[in-house]
Amino acid sequence: MKKLLLTALLAALPSAGAATLVFGANGDPVSLEPGNITDGISILVQRQIYDTLVDFKNGTTDLAPGLATAWRSNANATQWTFTLRRNVRFHDGTPMNADAVVFNLGRWWDKAHPYGFRDQGRTFEIVGELLGGYKGDATAVIKNIVKVNDYTVRVDLNKSSSVFPNVIAAGYFGIASPTAIRKEGAKYGTPASKPIGTGPFIFQTWRTGDRVTLLPNKLYWGEKAKVDQLVVRAIKEPSQRLNELKAGTIDFANDLTPDALKSVQADRNLVAVKRPSFNVGFVSLNNRKEQLKNDKVRMAISMAINKKAIADAFWNGLGTSNASFLPPVLAWANSKNVPADYKFDPQAAKQMLSEAGFPNGFTLDLWYMPVSRPYFPTPKPIAEAIAADLSAIGIKVNLKTEDWAKYLEDRNKEPGFDMYMIGWTGDYGDPDNFYSAYYGANASDDINWNPPQLQRLLEQGRAAVSQADKAKVYGQIHEITYNANYRIPVVHSQPLAASRSYVKGWIPSPLGSEAFNTISVTGKR
Amino acid sequence: MGNYLIRRVLRTLLVLVGISVVVFAFVRSIPGDPATALLGERATPQASAALREQLGLNKPWFINYRDPANLLDAQYPRYVGQLVQGDLGSGIKSNIPVRDELLSRFPATAELSLAALLFALAIGLPAGIIAALRRNSAWDNLATTVSLVGVSMPVFWLGLLLSYFFAVRLGWLPPSARLGNETVLEPITGFYVLDGLLRGQPAAAWDALRHLILPAVALGSIPLAIIARLTRSSLLEVLGQDYVRTARAKGLAGRTVTLKHALRNALLPVVTVIGLQAGALLGGAVLTETIFSWPGLGSWVYEAISQRDYPVIQGGVIFAALVVSVMNLLVDLSYAALDPRIQYR
Repeated sequence: MKKLLLTALLAALPSAGAATLVFGANGDPVSLEPGNITDGISILVQRQIYDTLVDFKNGTTDLAPGLATAWRSNANATQWTFTLRRNVRFHDGTPMNADAVVFNLGRWWDKAHPYGFRDQGRTFEIVGELLGGYKGDATAVIKNIVKVNDYTVRVDLNKSSSVFPNVIAAGYFGIASPTAIRKEGAKYGTPASKPIGTGPFIFQTWRTGDRVTLLPNKLYWGEKAKVDQLVVRAIKEPSQRLNELKAGTIDFANDLTPDALKSVQADRNLVAVKRPSFNVGFVSLNNRKEQLKNDKVRMAISMAINKKAIADAFWNGLGTSNASFLPPVLAWANSKNVPADYKFDPQAAKQMLSEAGFPNGFTLDLWYMPVSRPYFPTPKPIAEAIAADLSAIGIKVNLKTEDWAKYLEDRNKEPGFDMYMIGWTGDYGDPDNFYSAYYGANASDDINWNPPQLQRLLEQGRAAVSQADKAKVYGQIHEITYNANYRIPVVHSQPLAASRSYVKGWIPSPLGSEAFNTISVTGKR
Repeated sequence: MGNYLIRRVLRTLLVLVGISVVVFAFVRSIPGDPATALLGERATPQASAALREQLGLNKPWFINYRDPANLLDAQYPRYVGQLVQGDLGSGIKSNIPVRDELLSRFPATAELSLAALLFALAIGLPAGIIAALRRNSAWDNLATTVSLVGVSMPVFWLGLLLSYFFAVRLGWLPPSARLGNETVLEPITGFYVLDGLLRGQPAAAWDALRHLILPAVALGSIPLAIIARLTRSSLLEVLGQDYVRTARAKGLAGRTVTLKHALRNALLPVVTVIGLQAGALLGGAVLTETIFSWPGLGSWVYEAISQRDYPVIQGGVIFAALVVSVMNLLVDLSYAALDPRIQYR
């Protein structure tokens, strides 16, 4: 009986069919409607279906032509003109042209747009985040969106922004078929609809909580997909993604835990893939806490934390530590006057703490996140290591945590947390995206330190056109923030991914998702 | 009996209203709201405030006493207004109607729970009976030990272990999901094994069954242990009763006594537990569903809780309450069939 069962089971193994590429994602997409969602999995799937106006060169954060073949600004970067690619069609056969682009930008930015479906729960919150607000808002970056001719679109801005093309290149902003949106109405983007873009893959089905199935776009204007089918499966548990990889039921996967590296390397059939780092995990010190108002105390804290040792211990070689808020690929915007590494010197730190008037130290709450993030995959042990380092100079640390949603809310509520862990993953390749989230007009109110000087510099950074000009401005920001020690970068991590060895041509983007049209699976069983 | 049913249905409705109030107040009293949870690391106070307003979360919960002109403009009256029209609202983050998602997710959970329960019964009942009949034998010791282990093993760990051993090491069964990548199956009932047969696709049904085995075993392990232990103790108790001895004394065959008289009475408490377990399985499938990427109700509501997706949590909880109420009703009714002493008035 047992033998019979076994034979039957073995016989049932799926036979080799068409070349299907299966990706293991760490969850289900939330929506396949561009501009309205910010989670990584939705963006990853959208990336296959939609093209953005401006794209990124494979594996980098440098801009490349997308649906626009060229873009240029006026002298002070308040007007951006995009020349569109010709003869591109959406998957439903309708033409991609200036009308389509104006329609897409318009529904994100204009709260009164008839196809924005605001009354049915659409928020397009990312437009408020990255572009300052919506039509008519005092802080909005976009002033007007104009069709110049069938293949030219001009965007007028309220203030100079040299990063506008970078922002619009972010994965959130895929261009969708206006015809499809008009037809599907507020259903567009849900599993009950058919998302239509111009991208390398065509949407086929979405079973929520389980998988999205896509077919290659044979008429794609760019590099055509090399597989017959693409399946994106939702596998929430990281150890289960590893199991699936080992069993060969998926071909490649994202977001494995750093400790899976050894197991991947030990398996002949698997290849570890390190995504270029584009994030920062840091600790923030709150200026409302009496002791932390003292410059020397903050500097002592920074010097007492052995960031290198922490990166080595908890990231298995998949994390680097430096003295910058910016990930290594944006190192051009760092100041030459700041050392590459933070100084680790507990002796000097202790001395400094005495000079600051705390020879016997003091007590501090350190809050760690209750969730795993690429920049802090195991927050609790990391917090324990930081606490141990601080206790060595006499600062007694109480470790605290709470539910994630409450954590995010409480950090911004007075008095906030004394010291807490958080991080950031970039949306597009510009330093502004990292600094603006934590300093300046739209920043968190978590540390009660946001000097006007920084805000002015950030404005200048956004307006600066040449990279040399930008480097100058962001260099200053780097120096100011480095010397202030309010936010201490601990790590820039490389999220671990892996594939079966027959998966060729996968070029992971630092931004977290890329189109899978470059991948082939010749030799898959 | 008819009277009893009507009263039970009314009582169930009352319970559901009560639960809707409680869950409504409860989810809103958990600190951190959808605006903060959805924005994640981006949640600056300004951004969350804007989102909160857009989602109508700045409105009062129950009655808008501050604004008599819009007395019923508060969140709960609006929700109930939708609810009586059969509209459970849409997920805040996904914009997917909660009802649609419930209907697609519930069959997955039901199929898994049913399979787990069948597994638990198929092993648990005979194990319990054998253990009771051969009290203090090696069989009994084995059953008792295994059931103790079964109860104390965390489902999460057992699931990963099963998946690693049977899928990765032995390659017998798929590690997770409901269907293989190559299988195309258009659902009818949402029970994939059944749908495969109904559609005349035996290969798909077989594929679905293979995917069902590991999660069902993981999920069924605890009820299995409970059922085995309860069957054993209940049967032992009944076997010691006077009427069993009387039956034996009257010369009835041991087999008849055990199966017809003793077992029937011994199963009474077991039925209750099976009913309760079935309810618990529906609610307790969260971890199993998460590990095995099973697109069911549990993992969906679980995720919604961490994201404070109010309409999803409310819809999921109210629906689960409905299912459990119906299960309880069925258990109560099945009593009458098993025990003539019970009457419904």
